[in-house]
Amino acid sequence: MLFRLRFRALSVAAATALAPLGALAAGELGILPRELNLFAREFPQRLLVEEFEGGRAVGQVRDGVTFESSDPSVVRVEDGQAYAVANGRAKIIARAGSRTAAIEVKVEGLEKPFRWSFRTHVESVLTRAGCNSGACHGAAAGKNGFKLSLRGYDPAGDFAVLTRQALGRRVVPSDPGRSLVLTKPSGLIPHKGGKRFEAGSREYEVLAQWIAAGTPAPRADDARVESVEILPAKAFLRPGGKQDLVVIAHLSDGRSEDVTRWTKLAGTNASVLQIDENGTVTVLGSGEGAVTAWYQSRIAVARVTVPFETQVPREAFALHSSRSEIDRIVATKLQELNIPPSPACTDAEFIRRSTIDTLGILPTPAEVKTFLADASPDKRDRWIEALLARPEYQDYWAYKWSDLLLVNSEKLRSPALWSFYTWIRNQVAANTPWDRFVRAIVTAKGSTLENGAANFFVLHEDPTDMAETTSLAFLGMSVGCARCHNHPMEKWTNDQYYAFANLFARVRAKDGAGDGHRTIYIADSGDLVQPLRGRPQPPRPLDGEAIASDADTGDRREALAEWLCSAGNPLFARSITNRVWANFLGVGLVENVDDLRATNPPSNDELLAAASRILVESGFDLKALQREILRSETYQRSSQPLPGNAADRRFYSRYYPRRIMAEALLDAISQVTSVPTDFPGYPAGWRALQLPDSNVASYFLKSFGRAERHLTCECERTATPSMSQALHISNGDTLNQKLSAAGNRIDRMQKDGLSDAQVIEEAYLAALSRPPTPEQEAKLLQLLAVGPAERRQAIEDLFWSLLSSKEFLFNH
Amino acid sequence: MLQITGDGSARTCDGLTRRDFLQVGALGALGMTLPRWQALRAAGAVAPENDRSCILIFNLGAPSQIDTFDPKPDAPLEIRGPFRPIKTSSPDIQVTEILPLHAKLADKFSLVRSMFHTAAAVHDTGHQMMQTGRLFQGGLITPHAGCALSYLKGRRSDLPAHVVLPEPMGNTGGGLPHGQDAGFLGKAHDPFALMADPSKPNFKVPDLLPPDSLGEARLDRRRKLRSVVDDAVKVFEASENAQLLDENFQSAFRLMTSKDARDAFELSKESQSVRERYGMSRFGQCCLLARRLIESGVRFVTINTFITVFDEITWDIHGSKPFTSIEGMRDIVAPMYDQAYSALIEDLDQRGMLPNTLVGCVSEFGRTPRINPAGGRDHWPQCWTTYFAGGGIQGGRVVGRSDEIGAYPAERPVEPSEVVATVFHSLGLNLEQTIPGPQSRPFPLVDFGVHEIKELF
Repeated sequence: MLFRLRFRALSVAAATALAPLGALAAGELGILPRELNLFAREFPQRLLVEEFEGGRAVGQVRDGVTFESSDPSVVRVEDGQAYAVANGRAKIIARAGSRTAAIEVKVEGLEKPFRWSFRTHVESVLTRAGCNSGACHGAAAGKNGFKLSLRGYDPAGDFAVLTRQALGRRVVPSDPGRSLVLTKPSGLIPHKGGKRFEAGSREYEVLAQWIAAGTPAPRADDARVESVEILPAKAFLRPGGKQDLVVIAHLSDGRSEDVTRWTKLAGTNASVLQIDENGTVTVLGSGEGAVTAWYQSRIAVARVTVPFETQVPREAFALHSSRSEIDRIVATKLQELNIPPSPACTDAEFIRRSTIDTLGILPTPAEVKTFLADASPDKRDRWIEALLARPEYQDYWAYKWSDLLLVNSEKLRSPALWSFYTWIRNQVAANTPWDRFVRAIVTAKGSTLENGAANFFVLHEDPTDMAETTSLAFLGMSVGCARCHNHPMEKWTNDQYYAFANLFARVRAKDGAGDGHRTIYIADSGDLVQPLRGRPQPPRPLDGEAIASDADTGDRREALAEWLCSAGNPLFARSITNRVWANFLGVGLVENVDDLRATNPPSNDELLAAASRILVESGFDLKALQREILRSETYQRSSQPLPGNAADRRFYSRYYPRRIMAEALLDAISQVTSVPTDFPGYPAGWRALQLPDSNVASYFLKSFGRAERHLTCECERTATPSMSQALHISNGDTLNQKLSAAGNRIDRMQKDGLSDAQVIEEAYLAALSRPPTPEQEAKLLQLLAVGPAERRQAIEDLFWSLLSSKEFLFNH
Repeated sequence: MLQITGDGSARTCDGLTRRDFLQVGALGALGMTLPRWQALRAAGAVAPENDRSCILIFNLGAPSQIDTFDPKPDAPLEIRGPFRPIKTSSPDIQVTEILPLHAKLADKFSLVRSMFHTAAAVHDTGHQMMQTGRLFQGGLITPHAGCALSYLKGRRSDLPAHVVLPEPMGNTGGGLPHGQDAGFLGKAHDPFALMADPSKPNFKVPDLLPPDSLGEARLDRRRKLRSVVDDAVKVFEASENAQLLDENFQSAFRLMTSKDARDAFELSKESQSVRERYGMSRFGQCCLLARRLIESGVRFVTINTFITVFDEITWDIHGSKPFTSIEGMRDIVAPMYDQAYSALIEDLDQRGMLPNTLVGCVSEFGRTPRINPAGGRDHWPQCWTTYFAGGGIQGGRVVGRSDEIGAYPAERPVEPSEVVATVFHSLGLNLEQTIPGPQSRPFPLVDFGVHEIKELF
């Protein structure tokens, strides 16, 4: 509907930019929240008046709005806030110009006396005022003898500190105004942390009233925050627009509270939006941004979509050859954002790109010629099937998973290294479903030489390391922050961290006979003690079910594997889907690929969900997902930008060219020159992508950004060009030695008596997977027209020019 | 000390003033001769005051302030540690006995003893803040000061504007970026990383020169062939990395065809005695190389004293493996560092380069005042020392003070953003200007309200 309206507006408004929102006829006014329940006079609700089009929030109406209550004895509105007056029902009407909107209001529970809760209110005030931040009293050592838990994750401990320590001067119930916790942050007496709130402000009042009520302690049966929501959850805005947000907390006793003021709000895309401390978003540019809200360890995410201003006719978004949900979802997003997609890539681009992305090698000249000459309509699909069945598939994907699992001779002795690598490779060869692959790793035991997967527990020796690595590698999630305190950006608490790590507490290793031989086994007893509480947490996989104590015999990792590798664990499927997606499309749906946080949402949530579903429904068959991606119109787009999509980096309006990864590049140079690279300790002809070990000495690989396999982090691998790389390509041994080597491709072409034109054609097909254009051929023939004594060198120089070109070095 | 004078009145026939002639004599100690000095002046390598250069020494691992520049002789043994303070050439400064060569030069450098930060106490956050002035947040990757300089002033010669020696920082355990590149300014302003160890025999810049089999004619043909082949412009129009590749090739070409630029890296042109004065350690030879690079027109050289804290002897004296012990620092790190730094300052001084070359020594945090059970000290961002010499800095001063046990600033607390502002100020940059941030929006070079440490100048 939105686009039909826009289309009409476009045809009416002719060549100028789209008319401002206010001028569009069919916008509806609405109030957020859509319905309002108030439970306390102390918690008014901020009201937002929004324009809606087709159910979408498209902008806030900030000026010229008046509110009216249908029954001021139940609820009254002042300054855009709704205040509970007495139990009952009423309506609130908002007026802007000639338009109105209304919501139902129910006020209940006012007959109960209101108490500020230490757990949810006082702690929130301390968080909002920054008292318990890492820079101040939330620091590991506290400040000036006053230590609070970071962001209030330990209410019982904080309560004791406030009421029992410092000779009881921090809180003075008989004379609240003299409490240090009020006099210092309000600036009445000197405070190194400065003034954090004004006397008489809401924060001040919450603390003062709590103190005056006799500092009631947190109780086990306190209402807790179960979830938070941000409104509007999704908005379509314009650059320069402003949008206020409200955050509502839903408590376990059924109440809800407007906690916008106490919520930590952060924007995720600084080029699209900015958010200030009052919760007002300012839109800076087109694209998609998100705002994440953190309140009492609960998180909510709001999306802000800012369509680009270019005019794109609707036909531009029509799909031509789509058979998949992937394409439909991508096209919908592009339409929302007004980003036109580039057309399909050429056959030459397709064969080169798909072969690099699936196998890490280049297609041969013969394969290219056959493919380009093939007129059948399904040739691309057949090429994809062929790729998925090729032996080089095993090299490439075994290499990728070895990166993930840190197969590295710095930490593993040679027999163990080979055992681990061979195990990984065998799984890839058998196309072992990903859930079984991961299960085998996290539950591995026995001899590290007989069961290669057991080496995972040699590389990670203590339960916290095992837990953190498992989470990073298989959930794409870093839980490390929660080791010391509740995770500041995620929902994981310190308790959950230790419950999770306790799953690994009984894993032991003993040395076996021989080099690299260790045996991983499970001890009968042992628990990891949580420092904060001084005792272990019952073993429990993050937000899964705890292991019942009578079921806690044998290998706790079985319970972990059940939870981790389950089709019902969204993070598990999403994480691997995101990694595979990023391999082909160059940019993950979540970036960085190891940073799947609630506060780091995907660029297209629906797409990640759909692609994950494809994987799960296939039984975690990675090839099934890869096939869908390769066959999609999205993957097969040209990398040539259109004027309207050059700025897009996240929404797949075109293929994003990127420099080929170090190992594949080295192999490609070998392939084009027909001269393999010599790796010390490996037989002749061994390719870089076949190396089991990241520690093999190679200046080329290091300089071109190979992953060191020290950290479970995709960031170890870089594909950014550098001057050192340019120098190496120009002057370094790698290219020059292969170009001048006896018996290389150039030698063979000369022995076969190829003409200059044939040499040029073969060189192009080998390096760029396409024939030269007629103009290029003509110019090159001229430059190659030298005497026989110089011919060999001239051809070497031709190959050099191809191997140093962007078209070769980049996958495009 | 040689001073760069304005045009004197009386000149010899070749343009030398009497004063030049008299003062050059002192330079013989470090191998300087008159014609070389003239050449440097003429080449603009000895730069006028508003066009200073900078050598930023990053003491990765983080030296313990109490054991080096901020001794606490009156504190209990478990705080003051094993080292005694010694007097220096400056009445206001004491350093510990493990830095005797520093002591002789204390009139040249000034200390800031009240550094602090409030971010997480991992190495990487300190790397970001001390090199870019800011902690990376919300996905915003701010540029290294040297990269900002490269953006604002470009190169001065055929050499890149900013060089990192010996290579960029590696694994320090935090998994975060280190802030050693140009961030949102774009990779075109990334520094050139040497990727080699200048202390190794036969050191040369990897691949700086083409192999002998490639003469001028072939190089020329290669360039022509490449320009025919590499014309697939449209496909790469919107790819920043592709643009960067082109720029890299151009920079590489410039570097390899300029003899002066290549000579700058030629350590063999220094006498063995000079090389040994700096010490044949990787850090020592990096300091010497930095001096040469500044002389040849590089604006900014970042030296990473160490690349990692794991399995090496560094400043990171936790006291247990894979880190370093206090004794390891005393016996290996401090002497190496003391020798190299003092050689650098003396050399710059004798060549008259010190007034126009800022030498900043920074680290990511300090170390715990209380010695830990392993006999070492752990991370302590609440208070530490950085120090500066040259580039307009007045030597022999102490800015700020730590408390009795070196745990917190007692006076004049200084944040990392002010250190970076100090570098910019010395380099002659207007602190209030903006650089293009993400989406080309103006981004302040330095946050509003942040100033250089005025007491240093």
